[in-house]
Amino acid sequence: MNVKLLTSLISLFLIVPLLYLVYSVVGLNFENFTYLWNNLLLGYSFNTLYLIFLTVFFSLILGIVPAWFISTRNFRGKSFFDVVLFLPLAIPSYIIAFTYSDILSYTGPIQSIFRNNYPELYKYVNLDYLQIELLGFLMALVLYPYLYTACRISFSLLGSNYINIAKNLGMSQFQTFFKIIIPISRVSIFSGLFLIIMEVLNEYGAVKYFGVNTFTSGIFRSWYSMQDINTASILAVCLLTIVSLFFILERYTSSKYRYNYKSNDSVSGNYTTNKFSALYIYIICLFPFLLGFFIPVIYIINNVFKTINIIDFRELLTLSFNSFFLAAISSIVIVFLAILFQFIKKISKSKIVFFFSEIVSLTYALPGAVIALSLILLLAFISKITGISIVFGSLIILIYAYVMRYMAVGISPLRSSFEKHPESFDDTGKNLGMNNFTLFKKIHLPINKTSIYIAFILCFVDIIKELPITLILRPFNFDTLAVKTYEYAIEEMIAKSSIYSLIIILLGAVLLIFLRRIINKSLDVS
Amino acid sequence: MKKLFPLFALFILACSNDNSEQIVNMYSQRHYDVDQLQYDNFEKITGIKVNVIKANADELIQRMRNEGENSPADLFITVDVGKLWQASEMDLLQKYNDESLTEGITKSLTDPNGFWVPVTYRSRILVYSNERVQESDLSTYEDLANEKWKGRLLVRSSSNSYNQALLSSLVANLGEEVTQNWTEAVVSNFARDPKGNDRDQVKAIAAGQGDVAIVNSYYIGLLLSSENEEEVNAGKSISVFFPNQGDGQRGSHINVSGVALAKNAPNKSNALKLIEYLTSDEAQEIYVNNTFEYSVKPNIDPNDIVKEWGAFRKDPLDLNMLGSKRNEAIRIFDSGGWK
Repeated sequence: MNVKLLTSLISLFLIVPLLYLVYSVVGLNFENFTYLWNNLLLGYSFNTLYLIFLTVFFSLILGIVPAWFISTRNFRGKSFFDVVLFLPLAIPSYIIAFTYSDILSYTGPIQSIFRNNYPELYKYVNLDYLQIELLGFLMALVLYPYLYTACRISFSLLGSNYINIAKNLGMSQFQTFFKIIIPISRVSIFSGLFLIIMEVLNEYGAVKYFGVNTFTSGIFRSWYSMQDINTASILAVCLLTIVSLFFILERYTSSKYRYNYKSNDSVSGNYTTNKFSALYIYIICLFPFLLGFFIPVIYIINNVFKTINIIDFRELLTLSFNSFFLAAISSIVIVFLAILFQFIKKISKSKIVFFFSEIVSLTYALPGAVIALSLILLLAFISKITGISIVFGSLIILIYAYVMRYMAVGISPLRSSFEKHPESFDDTGKNLGMNNFTLFKKIHLPINKTSIYIAFILCFVDIIKELPITLILRPFNFDTLAVKTYEYAIEEMIAKSSIYSLIIILLGAVLLIFLRRIINKSLDVS
Repeated sequence: MKKLFPLFALFILACSNDNSEQIVNMYSQRHYDVDQLQYDNFEKITGIKVNVIKANADELIQRMRNEGENSPADLFITVDVGKLWQASEMDLLQKYNDESLTEGITKSLTDPNGFWVPVTYRSRILVYSNERVQESDLSTYEDLANEKWKGRLLVRSSSNSYNQALLSSLVANLGEEVTQNWTEAVVSNFARDPKGNDRDQVKAIAAGQGDVAIVNSYYIGLLLSSENEEEVNAGKSISVFFPNQGDGQRGSHINVSGVALAKNAPNKSNALKLIEYLTSDEAQEIYVNNTFEYSVKPNIDPNDIVKEWGAFRKDPLDLNMLGSKRNEAIRIFDSGGWK
């Protein structure tokens, strides 16, 4: 079997939703689109851009600054912060949105305490909290770790040379940071931001609750409420185009700017820390962790205790198993395919494989519901022409959809890892008489081991949080932790949903701590 | 890793459905705890197991449509009758063809076309601040366009299907032009941009951000029976008002949670038995006391909390209009600036 053909075929199966979209835009009806253009599109675009701006802005502050201090200073508790700053990634954005809305609402603890004990101060906390600015901040609270990690690796790998040169030139820390470190790290910063922007574009539940209409809400409004698949497809294609531009830009910058990284040349301790600066460093590093993880988790745990009597532990166990196994199987498949793509791309140097391995990542930008529904359509079509009856609600189809959706998450770390290693490795292997399989097993597998772990864990954490695809494609009587959390949360039974969200968060957190250790160990990050 | 593979395979197999037993497959927009209670009860009585997939009504409609002839769905149950109309329009449903199914059910709540059977109903009502509004200030939905409500109205987003159904009823009753003007006036009376869910609107009244809100009746019941004392207090700070009750007025807008047979239902006779059960007196009692909805049978009293609000006259509009006027309603929302 020709490997190039095989990978191309697999990729085709993974980009079905994209093909479906292009197909449905053919012969489309512009009448409704004109209507949308006149009434809504401007508002949708503005909201989407503003929300992206807010989330990116807050993420930059929450992510880059602590990464800088932790990379360049030695202080007590540094390794603790390095682990916990990563944890908010375990919290799905809809959970953080619902949790904070509950904490801040009229009947939540803050307003109640003020109302009942300090009536004269109550007017200062009695505000309308459901604002797009708060939403942007909340999303940043759980998404900044993408940026933090990227920066942390980048800052540490830069080595101390750049900083020493800057010191010799008499630059202040402030100048060094903005004039040297940020420009040099822009590739990493951009790759972190890319993931954050994707997540914002995809978000639906939290956005709807806050009454913010984004592009994704527009897709659903046309598709669902007005049964207008045409307009929905046009919007989805617009979304896809925007994302493709970001994507190309990211690829372009990362190929254009390459800096020599010198590992094992520690930057930490480059700046000294006195008592006063230690204090503000603590505050800066504690802030994202406290708001993004500690407070919501404590609130959720408190709710769990309130509802402990009505928790059905047998059901809980089943749901946890379901979530765990689904995420595990799907992540294994994704990582396996991602390795296959990267390996074939590398040894075959084929343009077609290159093209496909890039394009499968684009599916990440589509809302999960679009992926799920286009998949059903495709399967119905296959079933019709082949006469095979397909059980739509089956786990295999669910896993298939997850693989499509999260391919990009798995590919991203593997791609950079595969690209980093020189081709001379392959040539040497071949000269030693290795065939492709041995080459893979003896060389590529071991040297890319770290990124394989990273890819697996990131996929796992994402899938365990996944909602729309699971809702639409799951088999009968099949629930996951995320589904159950959502069902209670949209009925505003936050307390009842808490035990399910807690387990999602804990499962994710354990894996993320593990991941942190793998990254630090392998990169020798200080 | 290798050791885990048999486990994975077992997991996938264990989750596949067993076809040998008596089953009925339900696509459900309802996802309250009480629904599972009903299905368990039904299985106890008949031995028929109810398989459920719960999701948004629109997603379920798209799923049925895309599944086509092979859809395993027997029944489709929603909390917005407009979605049932939509499904029937898309040729996803079949008529139940059995008059005995609607025996004892209030006639005005049933489907003249014979596709769906009502299970419960709810009204979209007004609630008002006890401190800042007199009951006599309120009268009709139409009156909410009055300038006296400037900066005082609260309601959730127009993407919510309860709001879409309400506006559809106005289009059906008053015509497009009047509804358009009404919408624009109401939007200019908003206390804030639409956001949150129905309970959030009640809390916003309690917090003093607005004075009158449009909400579904049962949410007030849920607030008043909440375990959080602050929520109960918020519920007590407002009163319920049924609009359009005066002489010659049409009555309050209602919406039905209903169930319909899927076009290619593989377990049709079991499905009919489940419909029969859900409209039985026993099941109706369970609904009214757990979700604070109204029973579709006149002989079943509402829950005590709901009973205190008194009886009200229902808008007698053919409920299918809540679906057939939907597109016009959404366009009016959009052009009127109701976010």
